Amino acid sequence: MNRPAPDRIWLLVPVGMLYGLLALLPMGLIVQFSFADGAAHYADVLGSHLLLRVVQNTVAISLITTIIALLLAYILAAALWRASPRGRNVLLAFILLPFWTAVLIKNFAWAALLQDNGAINSLFQAIGITDAPVTLLHNRLAVIIGMVHYVLPYAVFPIYTSMLSIDPRIERAARSLGASAPHIAWRIILPLTIPGITSAGLLVFIISCGFFITPVILGAPSDMMVANLVDYYVHTVVDFGSAAALAVLILLAVLPLIVVQQLLPKEGMHGAS
Amino acid sequence: MAHRDGVAHPLLFLLSAPIVLFLLLPSLIIIPMALTKGELIQFPPEGISIHAFADYLSDTQWLQSTLLSFQVAALAVILGCLTGSAAAIALHNKRFAGKGLVTSVILAPIVVPLIVLALGEYLLFAQARMIGSWIAISLVHAMLVTPYVFISVQTSLTAELNPALIRSARSLGARPLSVFRHVYWPAIRPGVLSGAILGFAVSFDEVVVALFLQGPDTVTLPVRMFTAIQFELTPKVAASASIFIMLATLALIAQALLTGRRPVR
Amino acid sequence: MDAGVSSALALGAGHATGRHVDVQHIWKAYTPGAFVVRDVTFTLQPGEFLTLLGPSGSGKTSTLMMVAGFEVPTEGQICVDGKDVANLPPERRNFGVVFQGYALFPHMSVLANIEFPLSMKRVARARRRSMAMEMLDRVGLADFAARRPRELSGGQQQRVALARALVFEPDALLLDEPLGALDRKLREQLQVEIKDIQRRVGISILYVTHDQDEAMMMSDRIAVMANGAIAQIGPPSEVYLHPDTPFVAGFLGETNLLPVSFEGQQGAQAVVRYADGTIGHARMPHIVRPPRVGDRALVSLRPERISFSGPIEAVVSTHAFLGRHARTVVQAMGQPIIVSTTDLVTPAPGTALHIGWKDEDAQLLDDSSGDGNGST
Repeated sequence: MNRPAPDRIWLLVPVGMLYGLLALLPMGLIVQFSFADGAAHYADVLGSHLLLRVVQNTVAISLITTIIALLLAYILAAALWRASPRGRNVLLAFILLPFWTAVLIKNFAWAALLQDNGAINSLFQAIGITDAPVTLLHNRLAVIIGMVHYVLPYAVFPIYTSMLSIDPRIERAARSLGASAPHIAWRIILPLTIPGITSAGLLVFIISCGFFITPVILGAPSDMMVANLVDYYVHTVVDFGSAAALAVLILLAVLPLIVVQQLLPKEGMHGAS
Repeated sequence: MAHRDGVAHPLLFLLSAPIVLFLLLPSLIIIPMALTKGELIQFPPEGISIHAFADYLSDTQWLQSTLLSFQVAALAVILGCLTGSAAAIALHNKRFAGKGLVTSVILAPIVVPLIVLALGEYLLFAQARMIGSWIAISLVHAMLVTPYVFISVQTSLTAELNPALIRSARSLGARPLSVFRHVYWPAIRPGVLSGAILGFAVSFDEVVVALFLQGPDTVTLPVRMFTAIQFELTPKVAASASIFIMLATLALIAQALLTGRRPVR
Repeated sequence: MDAGVSSALALGAGHATGRHVDVQHIWKAYTPGAFVVRDVTFTLQPGEFLTLLGPSGSGKTSTLMMVAGFEVPTEGQICVDGKDVANLPPERRNFGVVFQGYALFPHMSVLANIEFPLSMKRVARARRRSMAMEMLDRVGLADFAARRPRELSGGQQQRVALARALVFEPDALLLDEPLGALDRKLREQLQVEIKDIQRRVGISILYVTHDQDEAMMMSDRIAVMANGAIAQIGPPSEVYLHPDTPFVAGFLGETNLLPVSFEGQQGAQAVVRYADGTIGHARMPHIVRPPRVGDRALVSLRPERISFSGPIEAVVSTHAFLGRHARTVVQAMGQPIIVSTTDLVTPAPGTALHIGWKDEDAQLLDDSSGDGNGST
């Protein structure tokens, strides 16, 4: 009955051209460069003592970031969900403002806050927690703070969406059956929001694994992550083959996560029937 | 009496207050930091002065970078709006095997590690002898902008486009171009606008690709800041960062106005 | 099932369980002054099936939600066996609530759904399980214990919802339009099931619906609500045959409203003068203020209580065969009157005939309350 206009699909051509030229072609070049000397570049990269260290850093920092971000995001999502319409708009603006702020600016601000003569150290000394400045900057803690701050809004929305999809009658039913607020939170809301938590966790982990700027600005050289290693091969060693081989390895590691994340049901699968 | 249902535990708001502070703190301190009298950023500030803004505005290199960033973002947004809106219209209300895959591919630039992309673009534009070309940076940014425009146009299409309208327009003999002008354009306009605002922020903030593709005369503002921050934390950087904060606030307000104005159905 | 398992439920057939639920003069306003429930008073007797019937916006759901505890009355008391519970939150009252769509927990098995209220009341695990299994057995779903709710049919879901609401021995069941979203066939089947389970368990039920047929078929008593107040409460036959107000008469099926003037009282009956001057008798309404002689009023006459014999001259205007009955509109006493018969012989339009009715089928209405615009 509703025969779609057959010509509309041609509107995909511009995207196809843009992505073909700027995504497909570059990926092809990366693969080509990575195999420039057979498998030698892969052997180089995989044999590098740096790689193990950098992969450990990346996984550890990304995991901790993901866990902390999920915890904080869950609280924010729940507050958004439960706020009055006006409170929700205010809270939403607070969550979105950092979302709109460049990662560079946020990292710069954190560097200024965490440095030895920064606001946080001054505060610590003023209330007598320490006498001398504590080193807060250029370490793993600073990287994690900066990264959690960056990814937090990304984590809030999938969780918030899964909360919105819960039928309010389910909660009412639980109350009528004798469930108090903690019981409802633990036995009803939490299980029903697991799809949102999973989706948020994967998204945050994927984003975290690709971090480049934050480790440079807030971390120590020993906190180098995989993205920084690519940059190191390009700009310091000037070895494009190894950089390309590492890029291919990163893609192979992240791709399955991206696929799973994309395949997850986007809306809450429970609730409103 | 209060509505019993949906009343949150006060603990929830108590817990979210420090998280909100954590979220806002960096944005809140940028402008005050720029207003220091001293040569270095420190706390408490040495006194209030606008010398950092004067420094920033009198530095031709920084100004050039700022203008370049606007230029790059403008072209990227125009291109990204075209590709993103076209793709959203192409897929609207279509059902075919592989639609999910096509959508995932269009959205991929959001999740693919930027460093991998940046390396690829570097290899590509090195072969094309276009390293240092602002158009190269802008083209890549257009790709990064596309998924955001795509999402917001898709949203406004589902919200505002009545499929019966297209059918009746076509049955009345409307040509594709006038179907677009009278049926699609009014429906996608809010989506294109909010996608453009978001896309502008994406391009204006992007560091990694711009870092790899930079030339002596094509250092975007974020790249210049990135280099400067690694060196030292000066009020001048804070002054230029204030621009970002102001743009972000403007963008947020624009977005809020856009969604607020959308008719409630 | 093991006959030796002792149930905490007194599920003997026909045994009335439950307590007196007294709703006394409750008022509700979400914004000051705008009352959606006005001075509602009724008592749910142990074992009784009481239905709040009314159009949307009549206050029936708000009333139920106040009994359940999801809303707090602006004024008034809700007592269970004399104890005021109006300020207790729902989780500390003891009512089983069944919602539209049933609100089963989608992430839990059928068994876990039914065990849920017991675990909230800290019943030990083993006992919890045996109670839930016995309840499942009782509603005929013992084989479905491990299923998820979405793997059940609509009817099975309803039985799970009822089992879950019954397993913790509530003081009463509260049902909020549970069948509102279903098609007619399924509705009728599920009405029978609810009634059947109630009969077996003996629990008292407060039921909300906007469907008059549903209310008539299930209830012991119906409280017809309009504009936030109870317009009339009584057994279905009483409310149907002897409505007190034009709204009640019109909301419960089709009726003829004949304008009359009140001429006085003769024993329990009213003497009325119809528009064409005919003098007749009608039942007095249950109202506080009796009409005065000469007052204008309305008489309600159900179409199926009118027969094609009697003293009143009529001319057939239209006739329609509707399957179960035939609907004839005649012109009599200067106005159209609907007559519903099961006769197979059908008078052609234009035929002159006579109609009549028994005095007790004419119901004088209280037209002073102004409780609605629901006249036919």
